[in-house]
Amino acid sequence: MTHVKIKNLKKSYNGFEVLKGLSLEIPSGSIVALLGPTGAGKTTLLKCIAGVEQPDEGEIYFDDINVTYLPPWSRDVALFFQSYALYPHMSVYDNITFTLKQRRFDVGEMDKIVKSITTKLKISHLLDRKDPSTLSGGEMQRVALARTLVRRPRLFLLDEPISNLDAKLREEARVEFKRLHREFKQTIIYATPDFVEAFAVAEKIAVINNGEIIQYDDPLTLMRRPHNKFVATLIGSPPINIIRGHLVQVGNTVVFKSSGLEIELPQEKKLEMVSGDIELAFRPQSVRINSYQLGNTLRGKVLAAEFMGHQTILTLLVGNFKLKAVVKGISRHAINEEVSFSIDPEGIILIDPKDGRVIQV
Amino acid sequence: MLRNTSKKKIVRKIRQIAIYVLVLAVTAYFIFPIFWLIATSFKTRAQAFSTPPLFVWEPTLRNYIDIFLKRQTEIEAITGRELELATGAETFFFNSFLVTSTSILVATLIGTLAAYSFSRYRPTGTNTLMFFILSTRMLPAIVVAIPIYFFYRYIGLYNTYIGLILLYVMFNLPFAVWMMKSFFDEIPKDIEQAAFVDGAKPFKVFYKIALPQVYLGLGATIGFLIINVWNEFLFALLLTERATRTVPVMIAGTRGEVGINWGLIAAIETLYILPALVLIFILQKYLLRGMTFGTVRGVRQ
Repeated sequence: MTHVKIKNLKKSYNGFEVLKGLSLEIPSGSIVALLGPTGAGKTTLLKCIAGVEQPDEGEIYFDDINVTYLPPWSRDVALFFQSYALYPHMSVYDNITFTLKQRRFDVGEMDKIVKSITTKLKISHLLDRKDPSTLSGGEMQRVALARTLVRRPRLFLLDEPISNLDAKLREEARVEFKRLHREFKQTIIYATPDFVEAFAVAEKIAVINNGEIIQYDDPLTLMRRPHNKFVATLIGSPPINIIRGHLVQVGNTVVFKSSGLEIELPQEKKLEMVSGDIELAFRPQSVRINSYQLGNTLRGKVLAAEFMGHQTILTLLVGNFKLKAVVKGISRHAINEEVSFSIDPEGIILIDPKDGRVIQV
Repeated sequence: MLRNTSKKKIVRKIRQIAIYVLVLAVTAYFIFPIFWLIATSFKTRAQAFSTPPLFVWEPTLRNYIDIFLKRQTEIEAITGRELELATGAETFFFNSFLVTSTSILVATLIGTLAAYSFSRYRPTGTNTLMFFILSTRMLPAIVVAIPIYFFYRYIGLYNTYIGLILLYVMFNLPFAVWMMKSFFDEIPKDIEQAAFVDGAKPFKVFYKIALPQVYLGLGATIGFLIINVWNEFLFALLLTERATRTVPVMIAGTRGEVGINWGLIAAIETLYILPALVLIFILQKYLLRGMTFGTVRGVRQ
């Protein structure tokens, strides 16, 4: 159990700023996901926390102890490398036990731990493999995972730990992380570009982009109240619908107008009038097909319907816009059929296109 | 259409044969001196000088016997100088072995450590330092020969093993550093970082994690250093006397005033290139790897 505090962390490589004064606090014993696209700075941040990269500025605290200048071997953290970083000249067994040997575990104890972890990850048959480069991508990832999970460090840092596993193993691994967390109450920082993974694993999610934390909230808040367009588009599947248009005041109500469609905004939003262009966004899940709401009924043509098992994703042509809508179960709408729909006012988000900031939610 | 493809086939075949002929010719060109050297070592003095050169003759082991067995009177009859050489051959071979192995060991050790720190810790001014190291190899050895000679005389390193070894270490360090650095640069940092996080300290990471990954490069570096040091002549000539003399100098000295016993020289040379040849043969995959490193990297995540 370790409380991690990161203060104003800066790191550049060859003049390129990867971390731009990043601050983040991770409560003791929690699972926090770092969610962001490739190149956002997730890996650099994890490496700085692990101590294998030295930040140019800023401090890192473990339980209020400044560890910024503590060497990695004294920090007692485990880091899963996105590149796996298996020792190419060691057998699978030696790869996994290297860290235990550094801590002078005795052989019997080591064997017991290795057996338990490799059985869980279904790699016990690979232990004698001499050359890890002959393993498949998924096997390498599991060996690297075993190497990370073999110890009980004060802090786990996982850099895209399950990206290369098949769906079933991925789910099992997620359950295993959660179980591990429940059982040992270790702090886990989990980096991933996949919001589904972040939502499934983490209690809190730090959205990171261009070396900065964009938003740090629990999954539900992130989904409902994104701070900006970046967060809104990063999260959700199918991706959020965004329409560009402008606002007009009609009597007491504010109406969003764009070519071919008009959407009345709910009064409780108490919108200040915004002149100029504006973007209206709503999630495909907020679309209600065949539902009539005063002033907000829209009509569109079904362009495509993808049945996903528990839901159907419809692509609708409304005016000049192609919008996505999610319908529970199987949709009975035929292609090219005209449908009426409305948008749940709760789900409407307005974005200032100039800076991507969410104006009012 | 059909004729066209068969014509193409013939052209391709001819081109292939032409390439093989060319390769064979080039190989023969490079191999011939070695062949002739070995052939001459089995010839008598008269056979060695015969015109046209002999390609078929009755081989003799006489030259090889002459190198090591102290057949003083017989050789003395030919020329006084050869007596001295023939009796001291084992000393010179020993000197060559000692100087080569020690200097390569030291140069590789220091070079590898330096290369690793340049590659991984990048001390301030790494590029300048690396260039500085390289610059010591930019001027021809002969330019510094005289100053070094006087310098060695002055500080008492002249005609000592340690003097020659130190000189060879100094001359080969730049090569070892540059070569090993390029190998260390090639291995992904993540692997060493993983070892740090796993609890290993820097020196352990160096010899347990980094070094085993560049063993091919290490082999290549040692191979090239052997070639450099084993064949060095200029400084060995300048800085040694009889006690510390190496084989290349001895061979040069074998040329007497009266006549040159080419058969004997060829035999010494054959013996001398033999260990180098065997070693290079053993190290050949490393050497090849050393020259093509970065282009044929193993599959690794």
